[in-house]
Amino acid sequence: MKCILVATEGAEVLFYWTDKEFEESLRLKFGPSDNEGEELPALEDQLSTLLAPVIISSMTMLEKLSDTYTCFSTENGNYLYVLHLFGECLFIAINGDHTEDEGDLRQKLRVLKCLFEVHFGLVTVDGQLIRKELRPPDLEQRVRVWEHFQSLLWTYSRLREQEQCFAVEAVERLIHPQLCELCIEALERHIIQAVNSSPARAGEEALHAFLLVHSKLLAFYSSHSAGSLRPADLLALILLVQDLYPSESTEEDDDTQPSPRRPRSSQHIPLQQPRSPRSSGPARGSAGTETDTFSLLEEYFTPAPSPGEHSSGSGSTVWLDGGTPPTDAPQVQIAEDTLQTLIPGSPAPSNPRRIFLDASVKESYCPMVPHTMYCLPLWPGINMVLLTKSPGTPLAMALFQLLDGFSLLEKKLKEGQEAGSSLRAHPFMGELRHRMDKFVKNRGGQEIQSTWLEFKTKAFSRSEPGSSRELLQVCGRVKRQLCAIYRLSFLTTAPGRGGPQLSQHLQDQVQTLMQEKLVDWKDFLLVKSRRNVTMVTLTQTFTYLEDFPGLVHFIYIDRTTGQMVAPSLSNGERTSAELGKGPLAAFIRTKVWSLIRLARRYLQKGYTTLLFQDGDFYCSYFLWFENEMGYKLQIIEVPVLSDDSPPVGMLGGDYYRKLLRYYSKGHPAESVKCHELLALHLSVIPRDMLVQQAGELARRLWEASRVPLP
Amino acid sequence: MATSTSRETKSASWWNYFFLYDGSKVKEEGDPTRAGICYFYPSQTLLDQQELLCGQIAGAVHCISDISGSPPTLIRLRKLKFAITVDGDYLWVLGCSLELPDISCQQFLDQLIGFFNFYNGPVSLAYKNCSQEDLSAEWDTFIEQILKNTSDLHKIFTSLWNLDRTKVEPLLLLKAALILQTCQRSPHILAGCILYKGLIVSTQLPPSLTAKVLLHRAAPQDQRIPPGGDALQERGVALPPNVHIMPVFVTEEEAISLHEFPGEQMTSSPASPARHPPKGALEEDTSRHEESMARTWATTPESRPPDRGRPDGSGENGPFSGCDLESIQPAKLHSTASDEGPGLGSSQVKEPGLPSGKEELDLFEIHIPEAQETGMSPGYFAFPSVHVPDGGGPRCKESVSDSGNPEPKLSEASPVGTAIGGSLSPSTPDMLTQNGALEQRGDLPGDSSQASISREDLLPSRTSGPLSPPRLGSKQRGTKLLMREQGVDQCVDEAHENRSALGPECHLGSADSLGHGLRADSTDSRLTPASCGGLVRMNLYTHSVKGLVLSLLAEDPLLGDSAAIEEVYHSSLASLNGLEVHLKETLPKDEAASSGRTYNFMHYDRIQNVLTANLPQVATHQDRRFLQAVSLMHSDFAQLPSLYEMTVRNASTAVYACCNPVQETYFQQLASATRSSGFPSPQDSAFSLPGKAKQKLLKHGVNLL
Repeated sequence: MKCILVATEGAEVLFYWTDKEFEESLRLKFGPSDNEGEELPALEDQLSTLLAPVIISSMTMLEKLSDTYTCFSTENGNYLYVLHLFGECLFIAINGDHTEDEGDLRQKLRVLKCLFEVHFGLVTVDGQLIRKELRPPDLEQRVRVWEHFQSLLWTYSRLREQEQCFAVEAVERLIHPQLCELCIEALERHIIQAVNSSPARAGEEALHAFLLVHSKLLAFYSSHSAGSLRPADLLALILLVQDLYPSESTEEDDDTQPSPRRPRSSQHIPLQQPRSPRSSGPARGSAGTETDTFSLLEEYFTPAPSPGEHSSGSGSTVWLDGGTPPTDAPQVQIAEDTLQTLIPGSPAPSNPRRIFLDASVKESYCPMVPHTMYCLPLWPGINMVLLTKSPGTPLAMALFQLLDGFSLLEKKLKEGQEAGSSLRAHPFMGELRHRMDKFVKNRGGQEIQSTWLEFKTKAFSRSEPGSSRELLQVCGRVKRQLCAIYRLSFLTTAPGRGGPQLSQHLQDQVQTLMQEKLVDWKDFLLVKSRRNVTMVTLTQTFTYLEDFPGLVHFIYIDRTTGQMVAPSLSNGERTSAELGKGPLAAFIRTKVWSLIRLARRYLQKGYTTLLFQDGDFYCSYFLWFENEMGYKLQIIEVPVLSDDSPPVGMLGGDYYRKLLRYYSKGHPAESVKCHELLALHLSVIPRDMLVQQAGELARRLWEASRVPLP
Repeated sequence: MATSTSRETKSASWWNYFFLYDGSKVKEEGDPTRAGICYFYPSQTLLDQQELLCGQIAGAVHCISDISGSPPTLIRLRKLKFAITVDGDYLWVLGCSLELPDISCQQFLDQLIGFFNFYNGPVSLAYKNCSQEDLSAEWDTFIEQILKNTSDLHKIFTSLWNLDRTKVEPLLLLKAALILQTCQRSPHILAGCILYKGLIVSTQLPPSLTAKVLLHRAAPQDQRIPPGGDALQERGVALPPNVHIMPVFVTEEEAISLHEFPGEQMTSSPASPARHPPKGALEEDTSRHEESMARTWATTPESRPPDRGRPDGSGENGPFSGCDLESIQPAKLHSTASDEGPGLGSSQVKEPGLPSGKEELDLFEIHIPEAQETGMSPGYFAFPSVHVPDGGGPRCKESVSDSGNPEPKLSEASPVGTAIGGSLSPSTPDMLTQNGALEQRGDLPGDSSQASISREDLLPSRTSGPLSPPRLGSKQRGTKLLMREQGVDQCVDEAHENRSALGPECHLGSADSLGHGLRADSTDSRLTPASCGGLVRMNLYTHSVKGLVLSLLAEDPLLGDSAAIEEVYHSSLASLNGLEVHLKETLPKDEAASSGRTYNFMHYDRIQNVLTANLPQVATHQDRRFLQAVSLMHSDFAQLPSLYEMTVRNASTAVYACCNPVQETYFQQLASATRSSGFPSPQDSAFSLPGKAKQKLLKHGVNLL
């Protein structure tokens, strides 16, 4: 019984998602039994009818009480409603089957909003424009848009339930140093460089390329000119890839597909059983991985910190030196023309796809910069993703800065600061005016020119300065104009919709190339991705089951790089992870998930250490900070957040980035790292021993991650 | 108490709104929302605002009910949360600050509704019969009292306001318990509690009823005239000084529990705590004694935990399912009983037998050696009664220990008494032959004789109203008591044999048909004229002696029965005076003892709904940290039954908590925490908290071992 609804203030449905049970319950409510002939109203109308009172009441409360609903729950939490207002859109999540708690629902809404942003960029800033995107007047098109996001939500729900990396929201690495090195080299030489030197790249510039095995990251490479990619964005991209090419973890190795990845049915090979000769695939032939998963000997190591470093804060207006937006009006013109000729129903599942990711370019941070994502499947379960940036990037940045400036102005106006002289005298106003003048002159759009002129008369005229309400209105109009330009430049001419993109030939070429590089490894990789545990440093082996008696499971997370390490918890029937398979593994999985939930909740309330006994298990959670050298820094009071604040995580709001920034304020000289460890022990283990083990485990994992590239 | 009026207007920061909205008054388009507002707190809220809140919330509730099939119980806003209860057309809403845990918010609302119903009957009738102004005044008093008496701690647990038992001479608690028992022997009286300055000294009532009675105490002082109560004095019964009697309404469940176990209350259960202290006379650990006392009451079936007691929904009471279970495993039950039995029994023999006529005199004559370590962990009694759902278990157990004791003459070993009492009862000859009939009365295994008596006592009068001679019942009772005494005497001689026979007896008495019996009974009571809207009318007798208040719940005919009132009054007057004097002398003495704390603790009794804690009145920064952690963990303990033990830590404090089905304990060390990194390290003091808690809390009678 799940449902998600996005609606405008007037209860117009912008998007919905329901599961079968919820749909069924709606059908019962609107049951047609008495009027056979009449057709049921469309699902969206049913939802709108049902929820309109709450939506409208929630707006009324906001208006009259400056407060609005965030949550409803019925007896025993049988039904849970979570509401959140993002801008002018009200997001509602409903659960009627106890499978999700409030935090889960809130996170789901955040993820949905994050997905909207990834797909629509700054257009999400404007309520009217985003409405056009989410609810196109053309029914067929609307269905397509909704189906796309519905599918993404399904994928997200599946991943969150099944993959530890989505449960804790960190990128999981597939750890294999040699292979990783090999891949990075291939990505650099044969992918990024090859693309960027090709004439068929149509103005696109390849920035990042990475390899995924199921939802785990094998290798990542960024070109020198590229800024960093936030781990949160990387995780969102993994979600997109999983949606495009779902790995069959759900149907778990059903041999329905003639997938080349499973020539042998050796997935059941029990732990530590010597490898059967028959299964000697080509994997071992190369690169001397004589010790593979089955022998519990593995090398653990973290490759170059490619997707790491987070960028500086947003929010403040940063003006680029000489960052005048390029005068690429002709290009837009062309794009508009192409738009006319475009058939609305392009068949392919939008790949390549226009996406918007945060970027830091030349020291300055800019959110939602347009990129193009090429997802190139190598084999089922193994994908290569190529991210390119379009030539329009400077325009995007200029638009962001202007929008940011106007938003700041709006905020000041709403706070009631005097509209007249004081505002005019404000230095940022002068700068904003200057930038805008320049922008308007270069862009030359008719509409924006007149709106801007109107604004200037209202804001800067000495004779008759406009009231702040008038100013607010014009300000809103200017913003809308800017958003419209953004939309026109980056959405309407997106690669999937006929905009410039890498030629198909070039895509095929790099795809084939990577396939050739990895063909010997693919079976190995696919198995390994399921059993990603046994970690071995270069110098010593350690198998956690033996070295830490009583330890059942752990997750170790580096929040600075947004990456995690954990033994695999396979939920499949036919694969066995370290914990075996069947009900026991499933049971442990639920314990781990509930530990994650509780740890998040207590962290949200400011507790950085948690130890509790749940049935036959001791669950523990630790968060700490350290410097580059691994010296443990003193813990500080972590902010206590309200229940309706963004949940702890990365995808919606990136809690850890803020936490690190918060902590770093007190440690300006050092680069601060943040780590988390979640552990599950048998409850027969004495508490002291357990804590000692956790410390030792964290130490070893840290050491392992320090081992340099071979 | 004197300052109460000035506080009335000052709204507490955590209690923002409370309103009662009658949706039936706002049906048509043109109906103004204000017509439906029955009561709104704070009253100075602008009418527009009142209308906004009532209208919007009522609308949202309606909408959510539509989709979910049931109304929301909680609505959260960004700065506020509302607990919601829907009762037909009526909508009750309590708005609290966000810091208050969700559960507590809902419990406060339940309590409020309970209070209102208790004193005024069903809301629809109350608003039909009384003026809105009167009822609003009533509400104001309720709210004011709650706000005045609810500390930060009580806020989290919505617990009862109890006397800190560690600060009272245990003898006094014993006295209080005995006063209550004495009163119970008067006609019509079912059970009661004794309060001192608004705090519970001793109670026989289930927590939900105790809470309601607690709220009454200030009423006489405020000259508050209960809306339904003015009729009372007109009935021409001259009440003794300082005594008030008012009609009250208890829920059916509460009524059943009161009726089912009167014998229980007057016999084994309250009697056993009373007897515990003398028996061992070993040690002077007072707090321990109080704990065990509390615990013992907790075992009485009527004080069942709200959500555990009735797994099968309405009509089925926990104790009965318990009895079933117990009857399935009589051997096991018996073994626990005999483990317990010898110690108790032998020591109790020392206690002088109390002649049934003048117990209350004896109470003060008895030289009670000292309160002592009862030799069982505080949770011992309570634990099996809830954890294993055998509400009947402990009862039988107690009765076993009783049987070795002369005193049970008046509070005899119940299962033994069952057969005898039943057989001797002239009015129920067929009961003897067919157990089923006997059990149809909803009797408990151990108490059929008494229960049947009291029912004869009560049922006719309830069904036939004031016309039926109330004395008849009490006369009958008297004779039966005698008969029972004889019976028990016999039993006592062969205590050991009887003990071995107990299992089967229990089985016989409690067996399978019991559950049905109860259901039959509850329908009975629903049919009686005294019950309306799921509420049963009763009388609340209060007798205040300065700060001390004796509150007794009685059957309706009490009011017309001046002789009975006199009997109660005189049987308790002397003891109450004595108790008051003693309490006054002992209580303030220990007040200042809380300085120099090195730790904070809080011990919550889930069954009795009472707290023990050592937190000061004014919370320091560390104390607030403690409270925050406690409220978080309390919510999780309530939601995750498999959660057993928990340690949380932030930069400034660490709190340890553990819980089982009957209690929750929280502990915080106040020594400034050595700053750590948060990295897992055995040296971290947070992980040594459990050991410290076990050690330190022993002296507060909290046993975590």
